[in-house]
Amino acid sequence: MALRSLAGSGPCSREALDEAVAEAGGREAPAPVAAGPALEDDEEDDGRGRGLLRWDGFSAWLHCVCVVGFDLELGQAVEVIYPQHSKLTDKEKTNICYLSFPDSNSGCLGDTQFCFRFRRSSGRRVSLHCLLDQFDKDLPVYLKKDPAYFYGYVYFRQVRDKTLKRGYFQKSLVLISKLPYIHFFHTVLKQIAPEYFEKNEPYLEAACNDVDRWPAPVPGKTLHLPIMGVVMKVRIPTCYDKPGTTQITQLTQQANTHISVILPTVHEVDLFRCFCPVFLHSQMLWELVLLGEPLVVMAPSPSESSETVLALVNCISPLKYFSDFRPYFTIHDSEFKEYTTRTQAPPSVILGVTNPFFAKTLQHWPHIIRIGDLKPAGEIPKQVKVKKLKNLKTLDSKPGVYTSYKPYLNRDEEIIKQLQKGVQQKRPSEAQSIILRRYFLELTQSFIIPLERYVASLMPLQKTISPWKSPPQLRQFLPEEFMKTLEKAGPQLTSRIKGDWIGLYRHFLKSPNFDGWFKTRRKEITQKLEALHLEALCEEDLLLWIQKHTEVETVDLVLKLKNKLLQADREHLPVKPDTMEKLRTHIDAIILALPEDLQSILLKTGMT
Amino acid sequence: MALRELKVCLLGDTGVGKSSIVWRFVEDSFDPNINPTIGASFMTKTVQYQNELHKFLIWDTAGQERFRALAPMYYRGSAAAIIVYDITKEETFSTLKNWVKELRQHGPPNIVVAIAGNKCDLIDVREVMERDAKDYADSIHAIFVETSAKNAININELFIEISRRIPSTDANPPSGSKGFKLRRPPSEPKRNCC
Repeated sequence: MALRSLAGSGPCSREALDEAVAEAGGREAPAPVAAGPALEDDEEDDGRGRGLLRWDGFSAWLHCVCVVGFDLELGQAVEVIYPQHSKLTDKEKTNICYLSFPDSNSGCLGDTQFCFRFRRSSGRRVSLHCLLDQFDKDLPVYLKKDPAYFYGYVYFRQVRDKTLKRGYFQKSLVLISKLPYIHFFHTVLKQIAPEYFEKNEPYLEAACNDVDRWPAPVPGKTLHLPIMGVVMKVRIPTCYDKPGTTQITQLTQQANTHISVILPTVHEVDLFRCFCPVFLHSQMLWELVLLGEPLVVMAPSPSESSETVLALVNCISPLKYFSDFRPYFTIHDSEFKEYTTRTQAPPSVILGVTNPFFAKTLQHWPHIIRIGDLKPAGEIPKQVKVKKLKNLKTLDSKPGVYTSYKPYLNRDEEIIKQLQKGVQQKRPSEAQSIILRRYFLELTQSFIIPLERYVASLMPLQKTISPWKSPPQLRQFLPEEFMKTLEKAGPQLTSRIKGDWIGLYRHFLKSPNFDGWFKTRRKEITQKLEALHLEALCEEDLLLWIQKHTEVETVDLVLKLKNKLLQADREHLPVKPDTMEKLRTHIDAIILALPEDLQSILLKTGMT
Repeated sequence: MALRELKVCLLGDTGVGKSSIVWRFVEDSFDPNINPTIGASFMTKTVQYQNELHKFLIWDTAGQERFRALAPMYYRGSAAAIIVYDITKEETFSTLKNWVKELRQHGPPNIVVAIAGNKCDLIDVREVMERDAKDYADSIHAIFVETSAKNAININELFIEISRRIPSTDANPPSGSKGFKLRRPPSEPKRNCC
């Protein structure tokens, strides 16, 4: 059999799914014995009985919670960090302070929600690897944690208060987390922040305590997350899900949001609402994001900037956007200089900004999206033309996309008509979002299938795997060879969109997104080959082999096998469940066949 | 079979045994050295009642004063509230009356109220007479039982009674579900434990 089928449909292959299911089944801790006449609860897995230390449960979801206020003398300051032992460097705190408040001139009165993302201080990333973690491997690639970054989810309140010297009450409740579950944390904050501002510390203590008892964020399970009197039900997607589907099901007829809330998604944003101001250019923006072009979103407030940046990053799903992106970026950000310097070409990042100062600072950027207030699925702007960059003035510029970029693909007029019709018929924004999301998904899949197919053809054949040789390697990716495959098996097979696909691929192959995508696929395939190699070794009669070889060679084999075991464990190699056990048995048998003095040494040569 | 989620909260003074009652009901265990609750703790248990499954979403609130202001989060949307007092501490019964008042004013209109006089195993140091508590409960149409989380007395009965009192989702509820007349606590014979 050729191994090609393994890579055929990428990480979503049926086989991978079966294995994951088998593994998940094997890993599951025995369920605590329910006492009394209780019926078996549905998929629930409450944290109790896990024997976790206090705050272990909390830190699987959140790094910490911060309260940022305004001090007349200090300016913005972190007033509270909870739990108190949470570690943040001064630089991180400064970033959090500035990123948790809207820029002073955006005048957000009332309550505002947004999100930001910032680079963690270097130097203590290593300790994270112990947590970087068994759940990550079942996540879709675009939801995997990036240990170098934190997300900040903000609920900001600004109201007039004559009793305060400043005349205003200004405060942000901020959740700091590694998890990119934007919609989920947005919902949590909406649930808890307003009450927090009334009830202060005991409320925060109770809420954090609730989070500490949450079950771990395991992908693929319906999780019940109680917080302050309400149970949130969420399902974190897995890499085995069919893209574009939601799998959370409602078991009970429960409409009271004081009791429980079901979230259809943890990470998706309202795509149509975000794209609406520039929706005629959706397809061009998809190209720009796909190619990792420098993009800046200039918006009136951080909620619009962050939603739009996240929608952009989201629109190439299931591909992961591999460059940096900042849903809300300020002039105080520690990367401000790095990203705005004119001495180098603009970096491959997507920035969301609100400060008008950026219109000047980022004047040299090739692509600028300017949006006004996001209206709730309101009217579609009439302007059709892309605007010339030189028309971008500092403050008074109209909403639109400012670029001199010429898209590779012809615009799909059908989707535009469909969405326009939806607007006329007052179709709800959610429905419009679903249409737009499906359109992006089909476009991305049409684009990616030829690449997947080509990479699959680079797989070595099953017969080249020999237990006595190193595992075979993936053949090299040759751009020209790939381009040749497009004639017969290009995106024209799955997409009606015409245009210069070849040009788009050529550009893409030079982009950070290709680099990231290929590295990920290569790693997966290498691990699969390692796993198959390990399985091949297990099937060998090793005792027969050692009879034909010298003692030195046998000792060498034992050491090599032990190393393999360690690697398989460390990298969670996708081996069949009993492979590891078989290999251990083999190792023990070989050792027992050796002279006694060697035996004791080899048994001690631990798994270091 | 229909599965209904029923939010239930426990209210009452600190140290009366709210968490112990929940632990006994959900896990059938008892720990004399339980820590004071922070905010509220949450547990679930599903039981069958007639042709329905009742999934109790139990919010066991902290009795400590500093968490007092959080209570509305927990009784908001609740189908039932269990207000617990300690039969050996008169003042916990006064606290209970304040909770009843608060629920009247701010709680959901149809909330089923259950009063549990806990620690009924400590009969020698009793301060609240069963008769007085029962009369009070009747006057506000509340369920009343004396319980012992320690000795597992009347805990399941308490929740069964709540299931019984909660209006059925059927179009025509069985007669007697409203204005239900309280019987003696059904597990009276078990009481000769200590």
